[in-house]
Amino acid sequence: MSLIEIDNLSVTFRAKGREVQAVQGVSLTVGEKESFGLVGESGSGKSTILRAICGLAPVSGGTIRIGGKVIPSPRGRDFSRRVQMVFQDPYASLHPRHTIDRTLSEPLAIHGIGNSDARVMQVLEDVGLPTSFRFRYPHQLSGGQRQRVAIARALMLNPQILLLDEPTSALDASVQAEVLNLLNRLRAEHGLTFLMVSHDLAVIDHMCDRVLVMQHGRAVEELSREALAAAQMKTAYARSLFDASADRLLGPTPEPVK
Amino acid sequence: MTLLDVQNLRVTFDTETGPVQAVRGVSFSLGRERLGIVGESGSGKTMTGRAVLRLIRPPGRIEADRMVFDGQDLMKASDREMRALRGQRIGMVMQDPKYSLNPVMSVGQQLTEGLRLRDRIGRAAAHAKAVAALEAVQIRDPERVMAAYPHELSGGMGQRVMIAMMLIPEPDLLIADEPTSALDVTVQAEVLSILDGLVRDRGMGLIFISHDLRLVSRFCDRVLVMYKGRIVEEVQAGNLLAARHPYTQGLLNCLPRIGGPRAPLPGLDRSGAWAQDNGGTR
Amino acid sequence: MSSLRLWLTDPNPTSRRQARLGQLWLAWLRIRRNSLAMAGLVIVALLVLVAVFAPLLAPHDPLVQDLGRRLLPPGTPGNLLGTDDFGRDILSRIIYGSRITLYIIGLVAVTAPVLGLLIGTVAGYFGGWVDAVLMRLTDIFLAFPRLILALALVAVLGPGIENAVLAIALTAWPPYARIARAETLTVRNSDYIAAVRLQGAGAVRIIAGHIVPMCLSSVIIRVTLDMAGVILIAAGLGFLGLGVQPPMPEWGLMISSGRKFLFEQWWVATMPGLAIFIVSLGFNLLGDGLRDVLDPRSSQSGSAPK
Repeated sequence: MSLIEIDNLSVTFRAKGREVQAVQGVSLTVGEKESFGLVGESGSGKSTILRAICGLAPVSGGTIRIGGKVIPSPRGRDFSRRVQMVFQDPYASLHPRHTIDRTLSEPLAIHGIGNSDARVMQVLEDVGLPTSFRFRYPHQLSGGQRQRVAIARALMLNPQILLLDEPTSALDASVQAEVLNLLNRLRAEHGLTFLMVSHDLAVIDHMCDRVLVMQHGRAVEELSREALAAAQMKTAYARSLFDASADRLLGPTPEPVK
Repeated sequence: MTLLDVQNLRVTFDTETGPVQAVRGVSFSLGRERLGIVGESGSGKTMTGRAVLRLIRPPGRIEADRMVFDGQDLMKASDREMRALRGQRIGMVMQDPKYSLNPVMSVGQQLTEGLRLRDRIGRAAAHAKAVAALEAVQIRDPERVMAAYPHELSGGMGQRVMIAMMLIPEPDLLIADEPTSALDVTVQAEVLSILDGLVRDRGMGLIFISHDLRLVSRFCDRVLVMYKGRIVEEVQAGNLLAARHPYTQGLLNCLPRIGGPRAPLPGLDRSGAWAQDNGGTR
Repeated sequence: MSSLRLWLTDPNPTSRRQARLGQLWLAWLRIRRNSLAMAGLVIVALLVLVAVFAPLLAPHDPLVQDLGRRLLPPGTPGNLLGTDDFGRDILSRIIYGSRITLYIIGLVAVTAPVLGLLIGTVAGYFGGWVDAVLMRLTDIFLAFPRLILALALVAVLGPGIENAVLAIALTAWPPYARIARAETLTVRNSDYIAAVRLQGAGAVRIIAGHIVPMCLSSVIIRVTLDMAGVILIAAGLGFLGLGVQPPMPEWGLMISSGRKFLFEQWWVATMPGLAIFIVSLGFNLLGDGLRDVLDPRSSQSGSAPK
């Protein structure tokens, strides 16, 4: 059974009397413990889908089901314990005047969960941060370390589903590798389901089992990982995205040198 | 022929906690060729590009044993001489066109302003020249773009306008600092090939600054790899995969590849001697 | 001392308190390098000290009249700044007056900004009709000149120091509400607010714990800069006889009573005027300095260059 079922979802923003359809009739399903990717260029509506799931964007049509049930609006506390999100920009997603400790223990306080000291220490270790960082402020951390904190925060409530909105696009390549490895390890350890958004086809390919290519708010083509690797895309747009992917610039070298 | 020769360039910032060296002794020389500078954030690649144009504000300081552009000593040039060089003989394209174009002037006004003020060209001639420049960056209806304001342009279009603007004075050297990082991948490829063609046709020198080793290797002849303000390796772009330095290799290997293995990506090992601070003031 | 400094600048604090004190220490280091702000801080600190130790510092009782020694000029032995028309020592009255001034400032500083913050953040966070109602209310208060509004309120409530404070506070909150609302609007859609909302936090928790801290620094700056105005309005109310009542040694009241002999005995009005001037200047300098230290838009200077 599918854990996430999105059926014919539309999102419409109203700005200054004009209506902008950011997402138009997109359907997708994500199975339990699966990792699903959304790929597209800016304005393709891929991030809007994640925000719509979280109730941060106005749904104008279609349904979102999680575990077979239509999710309530407003989303409520049960939803928070089930679904969490990691944002794109680690410089904007942590409260600048809260210590790491405060940021991480806030979800526990909201849900009235005790034992926050031990849990904060545990999650810091989980995401590979030294526990001595606990009382630092975000500006005392590097971009990669901040993103680890953001991931730790998403894990505090032990969610089933993690929505990842370009989690590494603001990071350096070597830091990106570390964060991607961390996410994969956490998925295996915690049995998480990922719904991940990226503009980088190579990142999506590395992380996800299935990919949905999006353009101008519509779904263009869904590809399995094997089809992507074998360049078996049916639509012209998916192919142009594939051809423009930066990792193709180096030419075909199958295995990276160890 | 050497267009730009830089020896032992250092950029230092005096901060509350003492001097911080952003660039620590960088040397390179450039002919009419395409040179790439690659590094991660904090490697000093942007500062190197800016230092050539002496575009570093206090508390930053620029020092160099030698920094000569086409026979002119950049370290000794007066502010006035530098202003005459910037834009006219050395152009610069920045990362985000949103912040480089004036939001309250139309594209046409911005393109012709320099021509009319500096070169004292008539209105019609300047207009024709600007249209030609826009055509050179493959903008299909240049008249419409001339009348548009920057916010009416897409990112890719804005960056093309920036490139056109920089190319109008026909500079000898173009410094492009992450010119495509703010663009979508499909647009990125287009803008890069336009830039590439122009540099090739006009025989300009190009310094291409980027964090992406793969892009740089595709569009440059030579690549300098920087780490913490130093050049750790210089490689011919064609031989990038044969790069020796562990940092260069690490940068290449840590990127995921389509169809690559699912094994954890190799991280960048910073424990080698090359990664240690020696001689730094921090 | 040096171990305390090490504890404060420890990059890995071991408790929330240490982390917070460490940040305060850094702010203090920044303000210390700003000489004008330090001058303002010294003046404000002196005001506080003078108010606390008034009975020890004042050479005379501020209320005791001595009609034989009335209107003595400054420099008279025993009456350094001269005496007023009832023969009371002006220096002593100014020293005791600092208590009243500080009392007014203190009460206004803890009431008006709190009210303004509450209204501004609530309006900014909820938007829609809540925003419209609260902001129109703010506009109504802003539409009247502050002194006139304060006068009207005092006229209704009756003269007296508490009523004067109440009137000033009721007229002082709208600018804080405006600032808080503007800050809230920029913060409201940020990712860190979205993140905490996603964790199931309610509006009260988000506003109090996440939005107010972001508005606090600009409001504090504004409060400090406004203090000069508050002192002047308090003095103005006293001058018009609607604030503090005689024979209390309030500075505005002292100017008012000295007005009658301004040309012959200038010092009676000038000395309390100087006190108002110096204290106002002190708060303004401090406010300017705090803007450099606290303003989130300018505090990035501490980070290393890219």
